[in-house]
Amino acid sequence: MLFALMESSRSAVASVLAHGLRSFLTTLGIVIGVAGVIAVVSLTEGLSASVTDQFQALGTDSLTVRSYTPIKDRMKGIQSRLNDSDLSLIETRVEGISSITPILFARRASQVRFGSQTTFSQIFGTTQAYQDVAQAYAEQGRFLVNSDSKTRRRVCILGETVREQLGLPRNAVGEYVEIGKEWFKVIGILEPKGELMGFDQDDRVILPYQTMQSLLGNQSQTDIQIQLTVADQSNIPVVVARVRSLLRKAHGLTREDDDDFRIQTAEQLSETFDRIITTVTLVVGGIVSISLLVGGIGIMNIMLVSVTERTREIGICKAIGAKRHHILMQFLVEALLLSLLGGIIGLLLGYGLGVLIAMSIPSFPPATIPLWSIVLALGFSAFVGIIFGILPAAKAANLDPIDALRYE
Amino acid sequence: MALIEFQAIEKHYVMGDQTVRALDGIDISIASNEYIAFVGSSGSGKSTMMNILGCLDRPSAGLYHLNGKNVAQLNQNELAEIRNLEIGFIFQSFNLLPRANALSNVMQPLIYRGVAYKERKKLAMTALDRVNLVDRIDHLPNQLSGGQRQRVAIARALVTKPSILLADEPTGNLDSRTTIEIMKLFDELQQEGHTVIVVTHEAEIANHCHRIVELKDGKISNDHRPDGVS
Repeated sequence: MLFALMESSRSAVASVLAHGLRSFLTTLGIVIGVAGVIAVVSLTEGLSASVTDQFQALGTDSLTVRSYTPIKDRMKGIQSRLNDSDLSLIETRVEGISSITPILFARRASQVRFGSQTTFSQIFGTTQAYQDVAQAYAEQGRFLVNSDSKTRRRVCILGETVREQLGLPRNAVGEYVEIGKEWFKVIGILEPKGELMGFDQDDRVILPYQTMQSLLGNQSQTDIQIQLTVADQSNIPVVVARVRSLLRKAHGLTREDDDDFRIQTAEQLSETFDRIITTVTLVVGGIVSISLLVGGIGIMNIMLVSVTERTREIGICKAIGAKRHHILMQFLVEALLLSLLGGIIGLLLGYGLGVLIAMSIPSFPPATIPLWSIVLALGFSAFVGIIFGILPAAKAANLDPIDALRYE
Repeated sequence: MALIEFQAIEKHYVMGDQTVRALDGIDISIASNEYIAFVGSSGSGKSTMMNILGCLDRPSAGLYHLNGKNVAQLNQNELAEIRNLEIGFIFQSFNLLPRANALSNVMQPLIYRGVAYKERKKLAMTALDRVNLVDRIDHLPNQLSGGQRQRVAIARALVTKPSILLADEPTGNLDSRTTIEIMKLFDELQQEGHTVIVVTHEAEIANHCHRIVELKDGKISNDHRPDGVS
């Protein structure tokens, strides 16, 4: 068996080399198919790995509670809200929380001005606990303290991007910026965090919570987000359930009503993202594998031509003693070799393509190529080779020696 | 016991609604080391005779004993094995593998026997030496003359040490000078102990042989020794 395989490989290599250009064109379908799969996989794998890292950095023990209004209600003018009493309810009635903070966003992106420079940024008010919950620390100056909020101080903490855009000096502590017609003293600059899924995490301005409340005015119209971290990560499901039942009761929801809020965990976010990536990979992979199928049919086609071309040779081999399996093996190995060759070329090409694309998109994570995709690509090309090689090989093996010898 | 024993061999072909009797009751016995020619005009059953003798085809009826074994009803794979072990073919159109050089062509039948490369090469070199082509082993068939190609084919037939050398119009594509050369080679091979069977329509070729069997309409019409052979 091994002997026959070796002899078949020897003659298959000779035959593939004898028709260099034709062999290459034959494998092109497989090359394109595999290259496509590998390019997509290497890109999404790279993306997924970097996003997972970023979510890990976010802290997997944190939860975000935000209000949620179904579209149906929104069209009726109903707006769900979370407010301070929800916050204190969770704070006092849920066990296992290590820190909790409200976040109050400005209703729209607001202008920030320093001297002649202006920029738009995300502005929100929060409390001292935010730095533990969001792992946002001051690189210069200090973070908020409770008294900032209580006394509604006009102070702010800037993200790195905002500082740059306003043309503030590196040590900007003590400068004054104008936010919505009010002047705020800069007390700190945040540590840069980079981007998360294309969002600049350094483009923000943090104000004391109650300062923000007073800026927004009408308290009954405000809608806050609540961020909290749990002491024990394995406790997350319990905390989520407890928060949910408390809020449902507080909001007077009956059994039939849906939640008017959403509780998000970092893990959930990352899972959602993973699911999106998996779907993209599957869809693109599915489309591309059609190309593999077409490639396989191309190989079958050329192998059939090759069998016809070599009918006389097959006749000679049979006359001097080749059995069915000798001929079958010879053509099957040749088809396998063609498809594997295409698979390998496609692998290199696809990886190159992935690296190139990843490099040409700024801030795109580098392409990585997992082992399973190599195994899958080569395995699938070999499979295609064998499946589409069987028909031509069987045709060759079943030729009658006399007819084959007489074939011109 | 005879090397080849035909008993009432028949071969029928169905052409449309007509049955052609290509061989119609052949009885013949061929001993080892015979030098025998099958002659006849086209349509006499010569080619069919050669196909059946060479185990390329099965007779419709009758018994064919080769080396004491009845090979008349073997299947294709078994016939392939018999061809590989017992028969060395030499064809009119040489039938060399076009993309393989002389050496590879001669080694080819040994692959089907499972002989390892080194041993194959040694045996092939011996066979090529016998036909005086050792200096041409790297040449592809299209780089060789007709006579040289036929000598490669003869080496390929010899390399398996078969019971029978079966030549089908071996000089049909050769000029007269090369024809003499090739026939001389056959004479020598027979003297060395090989059994040589030639299928031809040329009287001159047949006259080299020690026994001439004439076929006509699928039957043996004459079986004699040519003049000058005792």
